[in-house]
This record gives sequence, C-alpha cells and structure tokens, in this order.
Amino acid sequence: MGTQVKDVIIKPDAPSSLLLDKHADYIAAYGSKKDDYEYTLSEYLRMSGIYWGLTVMDLMAQLPRMNRPEIVDFIKSCQHECGGLSASIGHDPHLLYTLSAVQILCLYDSVDALDVDKVVEYIKGLQQEDGSFAGDKWGEIDTRFSFCAVATLALLGKMDKINVDKAVEFILSCMNFDGGFGCRPGSESHAGQIYCCAGFLSLTGQLHQVNADLLGWWLCERQLPSGGLNGRPEKLPDVCYSWWVLASLKIIGRIHWIDKAKLRSFILACQDEETGGFADRPGDMVDPFHTLFGIAGLSLLGDEQIKPVNPVLCMPEDVLQRVRLQPDILS
Amino acid sequence: MAESEEEVDVLVQRVVKDITNAFKRNPNIDEIGVIPCPEARYNRSPIVLVENKLGVESWCVKFLLPYVHNKLLLYRQRKHWLEREALADITCTLLLLNPDFTTAWNVRKELLQCGVLNPEKDLYLGQLALTKFPKSPETWIHRRWVLQQILGQCSAADRSKKRQQGDAERGDAEQGGAERGDTERGDAERSQQLSEHLARTLHQEMKVCSDAACRYPSNYNAWSHRIWVLQHMGQGNVKVLHDELSSMRLWVSMHVSDHSGFHYRQFLLKALITELSQTPASTSSPQQRCSTAPSSSHLHHSQANGELSEGEAATDEEWQLSANTVLQLFHQEMELCSDLIQSFPGHETLWSHRRHVFYLWHHWRREQQQQKGSTNGESRSGVLSSNGDPAPPTLSAQSSAGGGGGVNGQGHAAQAMEVDGAPLPDPRDSKRLKTGVRPPSPPALPSEPSFVSGFLDGCCNPEQRRFALAYKKWLDTVIGQQP
Ligand SMILES: [Zn+2]
Repeated sequence: MGTQVKDVIIKPDAPSSLLLDKHADYIAAYGSKKDDYEYTLSEYLRMSGIYWGLTVMDLMAQLPRMNRPEIVDFIKSCQHECGGLSASIGHDPHLLYTLSAVQILCLYDSVDALDVDKVVEYIKGLQQEDGSFAGDKWGEIDTRFSFCAVATLALLGKMDKINVDKAVEFILSCMNFDGGFGCRPGSESHAGQIYCCAGFLSLTGQLHQVNADLLGWWLCERQLPSGGLNGRPEKLPDVCYSWWVLASLKIIGRIHWIDKAKLRSFILACQDEETGGFADRPGDMVDPFHTLFGIAGLSLLGDEQIKPVNPVLCMPEDVLQRVRLQPDILS
Repeated sequence: MAESEEEVDVLVQRVVKDITNAFKRNPNIDEIGVIPCPEARYNRSPIVLVENKLGVESWCVKFLLPYVHNKLLLYRQRKHWLEREALADITCTLLLLNPDFTTAWNVRKELLQCGVLNPEKDLYLGQLALTKFPKSPETWIHRRWVLQQILGQCSAADRSKKRQQGDAERGDAEQGGAERGDTERGDAERSQQLSEHLARTLHQEMKVCSDAACRYPSNYNAWSHRIWVLQHMGQGNVKVLHDELSSMRLWVSMHVSDHSGFHYRQFLLKALITELSQTPASTSSPQQRCSTAPSSSHLHHSQANGELSEGEAATDEEWQLSANTVLQLFHQEMELCSDLIQSFPGHETLWSHRRHVFYLWHHWRREQQQQKGSTNGESRSGVLSSNGDPAPPTLSAQSSAGGGGGVNGQGHAAQAMEVDGAPLPDPRDSKRLKTGVRPPSPPALPSEPSFVSGFLDGCCNPEQRRFALAYKKWLDTVIGQQP
C-alpha cells in the first residue's frame, strides 16, 4: 500500500504577493448581501462574523470603511437581560458571542455602549465549581469557553471577578502527555483548543505551567511539506489552523521553530486573485473567517504592510495598548 | 422563480407538514439528505421518502430555510406566537437543514423541560442531523444536555427509591412490614429497568459516535463526545472499557490515519489501567483474569462495577494479577501498533499512537517501581524482575496473548520483539501464588531502539523513515530526560 502525505501542492501560478486592496474590498462588500441564503445559514454566528470582518479591516488600516454606528447599535440590541450577548437579534446569549461583541467594541473604543457590570455578572455566573466555564446557561463545558471568559474579562479589566486559581486548575487538567490541550479532561490535543488554553494561561499569568518545549514540538510537527500547518496529525493544512498553531508558538516563544518563509507562501497561495479574500486551502472558496486568519498569520510572520497583531487576542496591538492590556509571552 | 410571499407561505407550511408526516409514517428514518433538483416538479411534494431515507429536493431549501428561520426568531422575540406543536415541527425542519442553529436546539430544550418532547425523540433528531452533518458541534452539545437529563431522571428515581426504603424501614418499626416485601420487589424491578435503560442508551450513543466517525475522518466532536459518554455514563465500568477496547481494535486497523480514533484507544487504555490499578480484582476468579487477552467474559460483574465489598482488601497476589493484566494490555497494544506500522507505512497517526502507549507504559512502570520501593520490596514486587524492568516475553507467548493477532502482521512481531525466556503467566500461576511460589515475570514491551532501527537502515519509504527518526528523537529527549 503506497502512502501519500495528506497535503496540498501549491501550483506555480498561485498568488505569491499580498493583495491587500482586494481583501479590503471583499470584506467591505461582504456585509451588504443581507438577504442572501448563505447569510441566513450563518446568522447563528453573526457576532463572530462581524468581529472577523472588522478585525481584518483594522489590521489592514481600513476600519473607517465599515459602518460604525450601525454595528454599535446592533451589538447593543444583542445584550440580554442576563448580561450576555447573542450572535444576532432573537438568538440566545452565549460566551462565544459575548467575547466577539466586546472585541468589536474595543476596536471601536466604545465598550461603554454595553452594560459592562452585567456582562461581568453573566461571565461570573457561568463559572463552575471545578473552575471550568459553561458556554451558556445550558451548561456545556469546553476549554474554549474558559478562554472566552478570561479574554472578555481581561479586555474589560475585570479579571478579579472570577476564581482565577480554580479556572487555571481546570485548564491544566486538560493538558495531555504531548504538551497539548483538548476541549475537556481526557480529550485529544487540538490546535484550536491549544490556542485557547495557551491564550488563557497567558492572560492569567500562568504560562510557566506549560511545557513549552514539548508543546512547541507538537506544534512544529503540524507543518507540512507545502508549508501550511494542520490542526492535528494527518489532517490537511488550513489557513485558520496555521493561525492557531503560529499564534500558540508565538505565545510560548517558539515561533522560530517553524519554516516561516514556507508558511508565508502557503498563506499567500490561499488568496483569491479575482474576488479577494482567503480560503482554507489554495483554490477553495474564500470567506471572512479565513481572510482574518490569513492576514493575522502574515502579520505574525512580520509582514510590514499589516498592523502588528496580538497573538493572544487576535486583535491589533494598538487597540490593546489603548485598553492597557499586555498579555504575557514567553521568550 | 418570483414567488409571492403568500405562495411561499403556503408552500413552506405544506413542506413542514410533509416532513412531520414522513416521520409519523416511518418512525425508522435513519438518514437525511438533499436531493439535487434545481426546479420544482408540478404537484409533487419536495419531500421524498425512499425506504428509510428522507430526502428534501434542493429547489425548496432556499425557501424553506429562511422561512422557518425567521419564524423561529420572531417567536424568540415575542413578536409571533407559535403553539408548542408548531414549535416542535419548525425546529425539527430547521435543525435538519442547519443543525448549528444553537437557539433552535435551546427551544427544544425548553420543550423537553415542560414535557412536550421526550429525550429519546431529541436524541433521534440529533442522530439524523448527524447523518448529513457529522461534525455539527451544536448537535453534539445538545446530545450531551439531553443525556444529562436522562441521567438526572435516573438518579432522581434512584434517590426517591432510597427515600421510600427509608420510610418503609421506619414504618416497619411501628407496624410490622406486611407491604414491605412488595415495595421492595417493585423497586428492584424499577431499578433494574433503569439500569437497563441506561445501558441501552450508552450502547446507542456508541453507535451514533461510530456512524459519525465513519462519515467524517478524525471527527473530533464525535470522538470527544464518546469520551464524555464513558466519563459520565460508564464510570469505573471495566467491562464497558474492555468491550470498547476490543470493538475498536478492528475499527482502528481499518482507519489507520484517524488520529482521533487512536486517541480514543489511548483514552480507553489509560482508563482501564487506572481502574485496574485502583481496584485489583478480588472477587472474580484469578484464572480468568490472568490467562489471555482480557475481554468482557473475563470479568465478573462485581469487578466490572469497580466495587470491592468490605473486608476484601486486595492482597499481594491480587495486585500482582492486576499488574499482569495491565502488562498484557500494553503488550497487545504495542504489538498491534507494530503490525500496523509495518503494514501501513508512512502514517503519522500510528507513530503518534506508539508515543502515547509507550509513554503510558513508561509511567505505569515508574509507579510500580515507586510502589515497590515504598513497600520495602516486600509486596507487589513480583511484577518486576530484579533490575526493576519487566522481563521481555517469548514469541510463543505473544501469539497466545494477542486477542486477534495483527491485521496483516504475521512475521512482524519477531522483528519487533526481543526474545528472551520468560513465559506469560498461565492459570497455574494463581496456585503457585497461593503456595507462596513467586510467579515468572509477565511480558514486557519490545525494545524500542531496535524497533526503530529496523526502519532507519535501508528503509524504502521516506515518510516512514522520517517518522521513525522523529520517534527516536522523542524517545531520546522526552523519555530519556525523565528521571
Ligand atoms: Zn479553516
């Protein structure tokens, strides 16, 4: 039985330079097709969609092209009685969208559009006895939600409102033998969950608890011959996983362990020269999600046409300076 | 197709009704899908039921989804009232088309809480959604919530039973216990029913996970759900763990690049070792336990439930037997892994599995050594040979130990194992133990450096060589570094 490595081949005519203007046009136009079928299909994550779009616009210094008053009003109308925010009007509140909403309002320097105390109460109320966080009142537990909780509180400067020690304890209970983290204790290591846990430990000042060499090793093994990174062994490379792995490596001070030039050419090859935007892999359909992580990845790789991005919160560094938040990074 | 709003309204209401009726007509629908069909065919419903498959013609989805979507959101904003039945139908249609619409699942949670829906029905809806969207995170999340409701009901029933028993006992003291016998029999029956119900539910969940795992490779959500189910519904149940481990053997052999499937095996192995190390078998027959590949039949229920009755503290020989069982598990797992690596070269998943199993073994062995140290070498020491290392097995022992042998691996084992004289424990060991004779050492693991070196010289597959090198480096740095 022959083997073929699960990877992509980058064609010689794949894009190799950054098409910033095209990407800005793509994002600016994206929100205007509101009655489209696809738009309905993705409404359940609208708030995160807006965060992806606005963040990538800000990284490209194009934020003023977006409709600020409309967006701030929309966010206000998504805050619920309980304090949490929903993905869109009429949907139920959840930590995922509460974080996205606060991130957007930080970009716009308008956090006071929300009832911040109620947001904090909402998050506090979702912490469980073992330190973990439920995503909403229905009780699902996931390390992603721990990250959402502390990231939101860090942006609001209210980290002291929860039991941080317990929260850390839970995250550490999800650490695996390979240095990685999964969604719950005993779950498989996964690049997205690792990003959340590394980010969590950075925001809570606990990065020394990570076995950086071991985790760095696992993360580096995600790089494939094409230069792209996958999220787990024998999965295809993907622009979004490239971000999660790269950002995790940056957080634990091991970004120099991968081949940056090859990763850069993989990410550039995922651009669509006609429509603008990035896809998960070369030749696939573009979307705002992969467009943000493509641009953010290139920023971490040092592209000077893009604003520096913070690896923990995936937001422009200048925004974090404004809210005086400097998450730890290992050197 | 410029349909008027009214026309769409009528159309969609008919389609939602057709879907509801299809489920009434055939309660055994086991798969859903969209039938590519760009245009409506006159006078024919877009809902097609063929045997147990429910299909929706693609042309109608673009009307159907926005309509039910908006209807539900209007209801959620209290702008439009919907009867409970209508809500159940609308969310059903909506979730079969877009199962990650969290709020729709939440509406169903509320309907469940007020008794309009029952848990089994929702597990079924989720199962159908997973046939088309096997990764759908929200569908898996909803399942966990529903399962927790079922668990809650069972433990509430259990508590009320205990309370009744308490009452009956207090009643006895005053008026004698004429009715008590009946109550107890009824309770025993009900408790039996409950545990059967839970066992069936657990079994069904495993099947749902398997199906989803087959539909999408390395399905993180399916496999982490499966782990959750075992952690919440099969806690400490050695029999379930054993059954899972043996049923997974064939599956992983046929899915050698499914990292999540192998991780699940690692989870099972670790859980089994933890159980066996905490509660050595003391009530089941030792012969059964130490003989060959552990499987469900080798374990008594008392042990399977992880319970030790009082006054049955584990003796040295019981620890010894548990330790042998653990070593057998490691041994078989490494053998399976060697076979697969040889038969399917160049799979990162298999090498990663090897790391994990070796790591588990390495730690287990260290713990054994520490225990040995802490008991002055008096007890539990029989597991280890004089230098503290488990002695290597014989070839003949391997072939008798491997439950099903390797997949295609006949001659591989010889190359992978160091051959030495210590045989596997056999049933006679227990007698020897009882008469104070130290048993021969159980099997150990193959020598890893020699396993690796087989791939380094003259290996034809460059990927295989790369993974072998990485594994060697991992052994040297990660394992070598540890005290
Ligand atoms: Zn992706």
